[in-house]
Amino acid sequence: MRAAIAHLVRRHPEGGTVTLVVLISLTFAIVTGGSWLSTGNLQSLSQLTAVLAIMAFGEAIVIATGQIDISVGSVSGIGALTFLGLAPVVGSGFGLVAALLFGVLIGGINGVFVAFLGIPSLLVTLGTLFLFQGIGYAVTSGFSFAASNVVRKQFIYNGFGGGTVAGVNTGVIWALTILVVLQLAVFEMPVGNRLLAIGGDAASSFSRGVNVTRIKFGVFVVSGVLAALSGALDAAFIGYADGSFGAGMELSAIAAAVLGGCHLAGGRISLIGTLLGAFILRGIQSFLIILGVQPQWYILVVGLIVVLAGLADRTLTRLVLKR
Amino acid sequence: MITGSDGQSRPAGSPKKPLISIKNVGLSYGNFQALTDVSVDFYQGELVGLVGDNGAGKTTLIRIISGIIPPTSGEVYFDGERIIKFHPKKAIDLGLECIQQAIGLCDNLSVGRNYFLGREPVRRILGLPFLDKKKIREASAKVVHDFGLRDSVDVDDEIALLSGGEKQTFKIARAVTFRNRVIIMDEPTNHLSVRERTRVNELAVQLKQQGLLVIYITHDIFQIHRIADRIVILENGRKVTDVPRDAMSAEALEGIIRDGSRTSTKEPKVS
Repeated sequence: MRAAIAHLVRRHPEGGTVTLVVLISLTFAIVTGGSWLSTGNLQSLSQLTAVLAIMAFGEAIVIATGQIDISVGSVSGIGALTFLGLAPVVGSGFGLVAALLFGVLIGGINGVFVAFLGIPSLLVTLGTLFLFQGIGYAVTSGFSFAASNVVRKQFIYNGFGGGTVAGVNTGVIWALTILVVLQLAVFEMPVGNRLLAIGGDAASSFSRGVNVTRIKFGVFVVSGVLAALSGALDAAFIGYADGSFGAGMELSAIAAAVLGGCHLAGGRISLIGTLLGAFILRGIQSFLIILGVQPQWYILVVGLIVVLAGLADRTLTRLVLKR
Repeated sequence: MITGSDGQSRPAGSPKKPLISIKNVGLSYGNFQALTDVSVDFYQGELVGLVGDNGAGKTTLIRIISGIIPPTSGEVYFDGERIIKFHPKKAIDLGLECIQQAIGLCDNLSVGRNYFLGREPVRRILGLPFLDKKKIREASAKVVHDFGLRDSVDVDDEIALLSGGEKQTFKIARAVTFRNRVIIMDEPTNHLSVRERTRVNELAVQLKQQGLLVIYITHDIFQIHRIADRIVILENGRKVTDVPRDAMSAEALEGIIRDGSRTSTKEPKVS
């Protein structure tokens, strides 16, 4: 019996998360008398989940190599400000490209320091978290960017978070597309095999001829571009962004990944689990809002969940690795 | 001591051109001199025992040969070509496989994925490289079977589920089944049972008989003396002895290791 469970957990690391999703969905639906499951709430929940999930996917890829990227909150802020700031001037297409390029740039900076100079990722990305938050505040200096009516009619703006398709926000479609692409890259392609190998044992991977430096650099670029995209998608949905945009999102992104079954030590991740982790966090957030609980309590709940997820993670790892 | 005029000996009848040639190689980590002016040639079809006490520089030397670290001085030639860029990938591409004590396997990956790590077989779909999972499974399952690992080993299981001996056997199996020219074994029999140890030593001899160069690192002179063609002894980062097996008894060689560089070195001591 125990062996059977171990086998199941080993093959399906997101199993626990799926169970949790079902449990909280049922509980929230019952407690709120069905309003948690209303179309309106599910629409807003799916949009919120999508933007968090896209950021968390990048985080999961970084965690896969045994690193961490806590700059994603600020990067999403820069993405949002660039997109909304440039869209009225150069159009939303070029605005989006510029936002993504900033993501590549900041991810690249993180990557150079971590992969090429060997500085711990926690330190580097903590630095860029503050650096780009500061730049965000400095650029807006008390002002904010809002999407004009012209911009709101543009195809790219609607295609990237500003509009809906059959009632579903376009950001949700992007999240699912990115999930499929990353799922294939990480679990079905050689690059994914090497990425996970680095997280498991970097020295062994290197001895097998894996280009550890290049892959470590690459994951930070991916994380940067996804965080910027997440910010742009969310900004298009809200239609408004100021210097505080994305602040604190990095914690939710890390929590979503951990909750989804990504091991912070590296080498084991689940992207489907990460999506579900994002859904759980956003679900709790919307549940608290419906209940009329002050939003500050959400942070406390996230903290609690991360600690509990860490504990469960440890227990499961032990179970799985027992011979 | 029977050595050539250049301080080296070579097996009778072997081709003159060495497969791997180390010339005056030195390596220092900061102030610490791990290797000093080491020159040694390795020939195809030879089983060379690389022996020395802990800290003698054995592992450092093979880390250079397998491309993990570049030397700080000296030259390394592979099949006559000078190696300029040191990278494990380059060594693997040249057909050099190194079985190391502590590294080589990623615990989080399946047996099959470890088997092919760094040279995964792919099927192209729309031009994109997808892992050929069928091939990975079949090829690694065959290896698991051929090398006598437990029948219960599933190649889709994480390699962390194997025992220490099984992992070592698996590493050797991987090194053997990919067609290579050089196999380096770094303390391959550590943590192995007596039976597993005998099997590893038999494998080393078989590989040599198939025409491969086998460099076998150990600190057990008696064990290697039984199977090696030639013994190279390192001491404090210098080569102190390089003799055909028949030239010296295991006891005499052990004496050299025990007494350190005080005896037997032909190089004048630099004070």
